[in-house]
Amino acid sequence: MGLKKSTDKTDEPQDSVSFEALVELLNHGSMAEKRLAARDLADHPNGRSELILALQNETDVAVLEAILDSLQQHFDAQLANDLLDYLRSENVFVRNEVIGILQNYPDFVGPHILALLNDVDSDVRIFAVDILQLLAHPDTPQWLLSVIKDEQHINVVAAAVDRLAEVGTPEMIPELQALTERFPNQPYLSFAVKTAIHRIAEAS
Amino acid sequence: MPMANDHITEADFERFRDFFYRKTGIHFDVSKRYFVDKRLQARMAATGHPDFRSYFTELRFNPKNSEIEQLINSMTVNETYFFREQYQFECMTEEVMDELVRNNINMRVPTKSLKIWSIPSSSGEEPYSIAIFLLEHWPGIEEYDVEIISSDIDTAMLAKCKKGIYSERSVQYLPKNIKDKYFKYDALTKFYHLSPDIKNAINFTQVNLADIKQTRSYRNYDLIFCRNLLIYFDDISRRNAAEVFFDALKPGGYIFLGHSESMSRISSLFTVKKFRKAIAYQKPLERGL
Repeated sequence: MGLKKSTDKTDEPQDSVSFEALVELLNHGSMAEKRLAARDLADHPNGRSELILALQNETDVAVLEAILDSLQQHFDAQLANDLLDYLRSENVFVRNEVIGILQNYPDFVGPHILALLNDVDSDVRIFAVDILQLLAHPDTPQWLLSVIKDEQHINVVAAAVDRLAEVGTPEMIPELQALTERFPNQPYLSFAVKTAIHRIAEAS
Repeated sequence: MPMANDHITEADFERFRDFFYRKTGIHFDVSKRYFVDKRLQARMAATGHPDFRSYFTELRFNPKNSEIEQLINSMTVNETYFFREQYQFECMTEEVMDELVRNNINMRVPTKSLKIWSIPSSSGEEPYSIAIFLLEHWPGIEEYDVEIISSDIDTAMLAKCKKGIYSERSVQYLPKNIKDKYFKYDALTKFYHLSPDIKNAINFTQVNLADIKQTRSYRNYDLIFCRNLLIYFDDISRRNAAEVFFDALKPGGYIFLGHSESMSRISSLFTVKKFRKAIAYQKPLERGL
């Protein structure tokens, strides 16, 4: 016993599996098989629609991660569009992962931000603000400013105030101050506004 | 032309620190202030930004900017040497290996062999340190076979690994008895030649972590060392690498990352395990994720 040189063959070609078999494995295989199928479908021309579909019913986090990572291999405007639907998913893991993914694609997500910020569902509006948290887009501060000026739902406003604490500029301070008048008797919001103004002033 | 003002205030530092943590999972405490300031100032100068605010705005809001990668590189300057981050090797021999043996015994098909993957091999200091540490400090090596596979994308590095010739700097932290036992010093060239027994015990392979097909054959590992590599990857590549490691590990297997890296920031597939001397990330034994 002791150190033993490995005889693993790491450079041997793997058997290829048909598209139909991959779809079958993705939907009905073991966790490991589903993960491998998800990864293989990333490069298949018809793989995307199967992967998107699988997001609806899959519950295993390990499989969901593999699906989402495969989808990102070929990100484009259509995929951004498809993933936006999952902001309404009941699966918290899927929703949070989608938010994290979308933050990485400002060019594809930017055109959807205003629609998301005006969505009828306040949860979706909060998720839009969450996307803005790390979206590297030049309009991010202005989008957040529009929320604190026009939004009526206090939770959405509070989320935007938190983000502006990080990216706001001194000229936004009056709009932040106005919030305490628009939402009186909301101690948390008052505190968040004070914190944001303090941080913006410190950084300027 | 605006006057350059590269002074970084406390508020600037905190703002940058929060942003950098969210992007990379790397946290700088106040004691690292000087280090961070110096590197930020160097990047500001290199990119022509007159002050922190201008630099940070560019970093934060310009999606076409590759500056974040440059910045990460400058904040994570690395060098490699034998027994680097030794506390992880101590954790391996004092706790992890015995636990892996116990896991193995409980498997449907127990084996008397454990597999370790060290990636990136770089110039070989890490995989060889693992080998030496096991021989010196893990009694189980008498009863179990240990296979060490070490991989790198760079074939020049792999060639260097196979040669096993190291400078004084590479071996500077090795105790004298270890140097004497495992190296032969060449007074003419002033280089240390690793013992053929150790060199020949490790299988070096070329692999690109981003290539799914290449990584598929890496399976059934008990332990993985991947230190100070993921910090150089972008978010997506980092996630993909985590996926590769998850599939490469046996259930219950562990991965060690570099001291400034955190798997929790990359993927939720692993569970954090705090050992006495180090943190490792475990592929769950059960499916209850």
